[in-house]
Amino acid sequence: MTDSAVLRSGLQQPAWQVDRFIVSTALFGLALLGGLIWLETAPFMVALFVLGTVLGMALYHGAFGFTAGWRNLVVNRRGAGMRAQLLLFAVTSVIMVPMLHSGQEGLVGAVAPVGTSLVVGSFLFGIGMQLGGGCGSGTLFTVGAGNIRMVVTLVFFIAGAVLGSIHLPWWLDQPGFDPVPLVSTLGISGAIITQFVGLGLIAWWVNRIERKTHGTVERDELLWKSQGHGVLRTLLSGRWPFTWAILILAAGNALTLAIGGAPWSITFAFNVWGAKALEVVGVNMSQFEFWQWDYPAMALKDSVLTNIPSVMNFGLLLGAMLAAGLANRFNEASRNRPEGRQFLAAVVGGLLLGYGARLGFGCNIGALFSGIASASLHAWIWFASAFVGSLIGIRLRPWFRLPN
Amino acid sequence: MGESETMERAYSRTRILVMLGIILALILVDHLNSPTFAFNSGQGNVETALSQRDETACAPCGAPCPSTRN
Repeated sequence: MTDSAVLRSGLQQPAWQVDRFIVSTALFGLALLGGLIWLETAPFMVALFVLGTVLGMALYHGAFGFTAGWRNLVVNRRGAGMRAQLLLFAVTSVIMVPMLHSGQEGLVGAVAPVGTSLVVGSFLFGIGMQLGGGCGSGTLFTVGAGNIRMVVTLVFFIAGAVLGSIHLPWWLDQPGFDPVPLVSTLGISGAIITQFVGLGLIAWWVNRIERKTHGTVERDELLWKSQGHGVLRTLLSGRWPFTWAILILAAGNALTLAIGGAPWSITFAFNVWGAKALEVVGVNMSQFEFWQWDYPAMALKDSVLTNIPSVMNFGLLLGAMLAAGLANRFNEASRNRPEGRQFLAAVVGGLLLGYGARLGFGCNIGALFSGIASASLHAWIWFASAFVGSLIGIRLRPWFRLPN
Repeated sequence: MGESETMERAYSRTRILVMLGIILALILVDHLNSPTFAFNSGQGNVETALSQRDETACAPCGAPCPSTRN
């Protein structure tokens, strides 16, 4: 028996059920962890924790999955999810590219080297996305919403990320060159316009595929109005129109940059968590070159509560849990127990996700979303390479008994 | 009454509370052994990651540039 609270907001609407246990547990967790961060770190970390929570709710209520959006285009020839992502990149780059080059001290963009490591890493990540069932943000928000299979993906994501950190120096010794910020050659306006052209071309290609198969293009990504419920109920219990999620995610990334000094990222925290776990069981991570570099070394040594990606990830997990409770859908995806091969897909997918994310300098959020928002060439190469990997992952899904 | 009231709950409350408790405990243990906690406890000369900004790094993970690796 559940004890969902039933809220009736009018005779016209079906009863709104809230999972009170999940909602109160999530709120208690948020208050507890938020209080600890407030007491032990600094107010800006609390702000980032709250931001992570809002982003977790937005990802869940907006059903903003990069993985499903890519698969929907390839399998069903429907492009709304993909266009929503392109729209998100466009909106965010208009905000963040000028921010990063406004001359304000202490703001660092998501730029990264271009080379073998990036191409191989993002390609592996693309395969992992489809087998594991999500990207970095997708894995986190589905775990927060109680998906058991995605917990397996997350555990192996972390393991793969640590392995990737050990191998990254070798990969960096392979052919490659320094980061290419588009602003340095094209200027701020030129970089934004060039990226708009690139995003527009991809949107045109997506539309062409959809129109060729279905005759028309569904414009779900442009819907502003919720389906059948009032604004407040939709805001709290979902499902959000894509435009709401796009605006929240774009504002969230810009605020992360303004508050934390760097754009939103997710997977570095997995490296830190995994490395700390290995240190607990006696592995000296400092023997590996990656963990001797300043930033990782300090992150490993200090509290996770001082690590921005970790704090935002904690918020994201609890935010997704809260959102799932408000929608009365916590653990919904785990009602049908996954079979062996599906768990195997989570293991293989998780390892590829983690290893690929480290080699490719991040996931769909840290490398792609934040990379394009920083007008960095590496993000575009990441996008192309991960999409090719994703095509292979989609072909492999049936063998793992995963529906396409 | 809602439909879900007659449907078996899809999760174990105890398991969720135990899992969240373990995660919180791990975070606490990690924090209590950290330079930041030492600093907050009054120890001076402790370098913390709280204000760390790696503006010289070549990638968000702190990796150096290929041009400087040799």
